[in-house]
Amino acid sequence: MRILLDKFSKSFGTTKVIEDLTLEVADGEMLALLGPSGCGKSTTLFAICGIHKVTGGRILFGDRDVTDLPSQARSVGVVFQSYALYPHMTVAENIAFPLQVKKVAPDQIKREVDAIAALVHIENLLGRRPAELSGGQQQRVALARALVRKPDVLLLDEPLANLDAKLRLEMRSEIRRIQLETGITAILVTHDQVEAMSMCDRIAIMNAGEIVQLATPTEMYHNPRTAFVAGFLGNPPIAFLRGTAKDGGFALDNSDIRLPLPAGTLSPADGSKLTLGIRPEDFGPLGDIAIPGKIAFVETQGRENLYDVRLADGSMLRSIQPVRGDIAVGNEVAWSASGAKVMVFGEDGARL
Amino acid sequence: MNSSRSLGLMLLTPAIVLVVLFFLVPVALTAVFSFTNMSTATGITGGAYQIGPSSLQRLGDSYGFPELAERLSQPSYVIDERGLTALESAGVDASAITEMRTHLGEVFPTRREAERMIKGLDARPSTREVKQISEQFNRSLLDTRYESEGDLLAGLDALGVEVTPAERDAVAASSYSGWTWTTDNFRRMVSTPDTLRTLINTVFYVAIVLVLFNTGYAMFLAITTYYMPETTGGIFRSIWLLPRITPPVIYVLMWKWLAWDTGFISMFLGQFGVAPKNWMLDSSTNAWVFVILINGFVGASMGMLVFSSALRAIPKSQFYASEVDGASRWQQIRYIILPQMRWPILFVTCYQTLSLLASFDLILLSTEGGPGGATEVWSLMTYHTALNNYAGNLEYGYGTALSLVLVVIGVTLSLIYLRVFNYNALVAKPLIEQ
Ligand SMILES: Nc1ncnc2c1ncn2[C@@H]1O[C@H](COP(=O)(O)OP(=O)(O)O)[C@@H](O)[C@H]1O
Ligand SMILES: [Mg+2]
Repeated sequence: MRILLDKFSKSFGTTKVIEDLTLEVADGEMLALLGPSGCGKSTTLFAICGIHKVTGGRILFGDRDVTDLPSQARSVGVVFQSYALYPHMTVAENIAFPLQVKKVAPDQIKREVDAIAALVHIENLLGRRPAELSGGQQQRVALARALVRKPDVLLLDEPLANLDAKLRLEMRSEIRRIQLETGITAILVTHDQVEAMSMCDRIAIMNAGEIVQLATPTEMYHNPRTAFVAGFLGNPPIAFLRGTAKDGGFALDNSDIRLPLPAGTLSPADGSKLTLGIRPEDFGPLGDIAIPGKIAFVETQGRENLYDVRLADGSMLRSIQPVRGDIAVGNEVAWSASGAKVMVFGEDGARL
Repeated sequence: MNSSRSLGLMLLTPAIVLVVLFFLVPVALTAVFSFTNMSTATGITGGAYQIGPSSLQRLGDSYGFPELAERLSQPSYVIDERGLTALESAGVDASAITEMRTHLGEVFPTRREAERMIKGLDARPSTREVKQISEQFNRSLLDTRYESEGDLLAGLDALGVEVTPAERDAVAASSYSGWTWTTDNFRRMVSTPDTLRTLINTVFYVAIVLVLFNTGYAMFLAITTYYMPETTGGIFRSIWLLPRITPPVIYVLMWKWLAWDTGFISMFLGQFGVAPKNWMLDSSTNAWVFVILINGFVGASMGMLVFSSALRAIPKSQFYASEVDGASRWQQIRYIILPQMRWPILFVTCYQTLSLLASFDLILLSTEGGPGGATEVWSLMTYHTALNNYAGNLEYGYGTALSLVLVVIGVTLSLIYLRVFNYNALVAKPLIEQ
């Protein structure tokens, strides 16, 4: 079911957290709300499921206005960051709870619990209590409980934040598999760009209570609208160079390095402040804009190495390349950036 | 013994010392004293042997020697050397003494008979002198204090009373004024009808106050104030703490003022033509209502605090989760809150049962067990028996026997509670990683 946030605002007392946020999630879509901690992701999620009352605007599920409905009447399943399992109930009782409060017949409850347990692969854990489960198992139980009564909408608040790296990888694909199998409309709140990119159809990237860009992961990665978005996506992250516009080119601050601006960039006025963004994979031996520097650090990543290159002005560029043995810290290198991939941002951070 | 074990023991020592000093020793002493007949009359140190009206009564009634008691109660007069010497030093006429010597060895069972003989002397003593002389030969055991059983029996022999060994023992036992070992306390407890009535009162009182106020109402307050806005809830909780922090005397005085025949209730109902009366002591039903309210309002505050903090310890996210799961507020209370309140409920129930069983201060201050013993509970009965009663004879032995019953009930109840609340099921099995 489609979700529409229409000019939604939320403040706590005098603190305005969200103002006039509009966002539409298509039916069956999985959307990531991505942003740094404290930007208002959970607040938005809690407003959608009705835990927080909105201060302004509307929330629609399909064509139904749920703005003033209590959470009980909204048909949402929520997976909380802490899982919020009921410690005194067994796994089966936890999953059955949403049906039990709806007074569904016991044998039907049993059938549905078994079915959903099979979906999330926890059939053999039904008799245990949450304290006897590992983090990943608790995660699956929370997911099963959120899905068992077939809600219109599934909301996940940092569902992987409490898992270790290996489990996180496993649960990423599991959650996506379950979402695709059930075809439920889902919103995933996360501060981890890898999660957002790997699990979701589209990403809404948030900063300070506002959605900065809404796009598919690929589109957002290759075509970020602002320096913030470019900086947020990608691992290892993009490197920024600060300078000024000069004669249709870019003059790196505190140095005599001059770089041409990529083709297609609107020529900024002379003297205006610019920021160049260069991703690690777009900087190396094969580019067309030479930028000389000195190796400051080599990070071995196994299949690839990440090189930190310090430029004359002290700023840093990153380059990721297949492992090679001919480069050591302190070496002078003259690598180049791929001009077509270099991103230019104006003083306000917007892409030019 | 390794060092961590001894460190543990060292850290435990203060607790062990406290348990021994303030629990085990008092309980042991209670058990010991409950098998004595200590009272104001016997004192708590040893006693002496002295035949008197009450000991003779006991000899007749409890030991079954009424004739012997009768015999011992009679004064008896023996004309002996000791008496004659005493007459000399009292300055009695020498001729009278010489004449008395002729009667040496004679025994008179009563004063009258002895005095008849003295009156018949040739020396013709005056009535005053007759009395003076007879007094010197009074060899009755009555009201003579003997420090040991041997002295008493020697006195008995000197008197020439023929007694069987059983009678000797009975005389010694009945005339002993100090405390003795006995199981009579428990026999008395079982056979006195008041005991059963007090027991029923106690069960009623503890059960009603515990269920209605100390847990029920306390839980109600905790949950309602939890759902209130922070400050409102805080204000309500503070109000309910007031009875607890008010000094008991003042607190009960306020209730009395409410209930007196010139108090608020009487004044208010007077407007509608109801005759003023003491509403608290008017009938046993009223007395119970007041006793329960007075104790309940004090007792609810502790449960309220314990339950409130336990509620706060439940993560907020469980409340959010249950709401989005569709649970109404009542279902939230029923399925999420209450099941997680088992330990606090157990704790409050246990603690409050014991404190209700043991404390009687508010009842003492308000109804004093009245009217007519209607609100007398076990601990108050113990107090009345051992520490403060109308007759003035404080029966420490019987009192401790009564309080020993409280100790036994308390320990038994604690064990039952642990059982009912299924301690083992509450301790989760260790985490098993798959
Ligand atoms: N109940 C609340 N009362 C006051 N401020 C809140 C409350 N909940 C969240 N906030 C504030 O709102 C902002 C956004 O919080 P949140 O939505 O939790 O961020 P996140 O994006 O990390 O999930 C934060 O600055 C936080 O301090
Ligand atoms: Mg959050």
